Amino acid sequence: MDSVRRTVAVVGWQAHSFRRLWRGSITTSFLNPIFFLVSIGVLLGSLIDKSNPDLGGLSYLQFVAPALLATTAMQTAASVTTFPVRAGLKWLKTYHAAVSTPIRVGELVAGILAWCGVRVIVAVTIFAVVAAIGGAFVSPLAVLAPFAALLCGLAFGSVLAAITSSVEGDEWLAAIFRFGLVPLFLFSGTFFPISQLPLLLEALAWATPLWHGVALCRSLATDDVDPLLTAVHVAYLLALTAVGSALTVRAQREKLRR
Amino acid sequence: MSDAPLIEARDLTKRYGEFVAVDGIDFTVERGETFGFLGPNGAGKSSTMRMIGAVSPASGGTLRVLGRDPERDGPEIRSRLGVVPQDDNLDLELDVGENLHVYGRFFGLPRDEIRRRTDELLEFVQLADRRESRVDSLSGGMKRRLTIARALINEPELMLLDEPTTGLDPQARHALWDRLYRLKQRGVTLVLTTHYMDEAEQLCDRLVVMDRAKIVAEGSPRDLIERYVEREVVELRLGDRNGGPSLDGLADHVEVLQDRVVIGTDDGDAVVDEVHARGLAPETVLVRRSTLEDVFLRLTGRSLID
Repeated sequence: MDSVRRTVAVVGWQAHSFRRLWRGSITTSFLNPIFFLVSIGVLLGSLIDKSNPDLGGLSYLQFVAPALLATTAMQTAASVTTFPVRAGLKWLKTYHAAVSTPIRVGELVAGILAWCGVRVIVAVTIFAVVAAIGGAFVSPLAVLAPFAALLCGLAFGSVLAAITSSVEGDEWLAAIFRFGLVPLFLFSGTFFPISQLPLLLEALAWATPLWHGVALCRSLATDDVDPLLTAVHVAYLLALTAVGSALTVRAQREKLRR
Repeated sequence: MSDAPLIEARDLTKRYGEFVAVDGIDFTVERGETFGFLGPNGAGKSSTMRMIGAVSPASGGTLRVLGRDPERDGPEIRSRLGVVPQDDNLDLELDVGENLHVYGRFFGLPRDEIRRRTDELLEFVQLADRRESRVDSLSGGMKRRLTIARALINEPELMLLDEPTTGLDPQARHALWDRLYRLKQRGVTLVLTTHYMDEAEQLCDRLVVMDRAKIVAEGSPRDLIERYVEREVVELRLGDRNGGPSLDGLADHVEVLQDRVVIGTDDGDAVVDEVHARGLAPETVLVRRSTLEDVFLRLTGRSLID
């Protein structure tokens, strides 16, 4: 009970800081996804032949919008669990201040990941509403897509928090975005079906969390749900969240409780 | 129950891999006293403080804080401590009042209680007019006072202050000492580390001197001065002396340094008379009372430790 209370206190702290910083997050969490939806989904999509069998009878906008839900989750999670975590652990040492109170390291990490979840669900819900108004979803199951995107966001958030808490040099943070998130964004079936990739890369896509998030969101929004595949996607994302959280706690304990 | 020591350490040890930061030290801190760890950088003071603060597990020995085991009862112990770390770790993204609010929530305090204590504490550390200021805009001394206010939000029984005045200008140091003295008068037990001798003399009822991971002396400032050094110190600047009259037998303790001679004696004036009688003709003569600094230098040596 005390543990829950202390975790909530950490979420409250994060929310407090966000009250001053929310303007800066509008671009990554809200405007960029909408820009992609309009430029790629609507304008570029108008050049793409709807009768292409790979699209399965969808318009390109309907193909791409659910995937952007997952990428929005990824981007938002990354903005919560990379630089701010680094600041707490190293630049400002506010995490050191937190764990000198009754807060435990596990509660600190739980609070930060919970806050990451809050940020993700807000961002993807706003995006989903805009996309729905634009006619980007064909199935009523699309109302579940933000929750699928939340799973994707938590998987990314926990893994990125683990990496951010473990690496020594600050240059790693920029590398995460450049060599990790950008290629994932481009090649995880967001803009084209991964069946178009060479077999080896297609297999690789199966291993990436973003593809599972994209596939899950897309299956819901296009009414193409396969129970077994859905179970695989959900299990994969949950497992990654569990592993990432555990590694984050371990890495932060090493730094905060030396 | 209330007679039990607040902190009790036996053979307390901290190792980082091969490196021994704290090497089997024993000490107790009683309720209501102000206890100091004095020592050069790297002596193991901060490691000891972190173990007391229940954020760093001991590598060996036993430690009881507030009658509890820091390893098992970390949150319970920390809920009764106030911690002022060596480097300010205030949240620069929040304003002064918000820093106290967030911290109070960590201790599970209700919002209106935090508001009430914030009013009081900001008054106490003379920051009442800066409540809405961003932390970035505060001076070093103000940040330090805010860190102290933050550490007091849970009305702690025991305060841990790691080098509370390092890096502050003289006015800010004295303002801070004054606040700490008031806390002491209210019955709060203070444990502090410092390498400022005047700070230890001003504040501490009792202190230990640490050097190279061990405790090398323990007592009140007065005790230590009486035990380890003579009552007075005569400092002479002799300029360039090749040969010249001997310094031998001037007093019990004569230390010849690069630029001056430091003489420990119970009768400074007699030594000065003797100096002149021998025709030493010093450029300057200073007779002063021995301080903790002399104890410290006698015990830990004059060589610079980095």
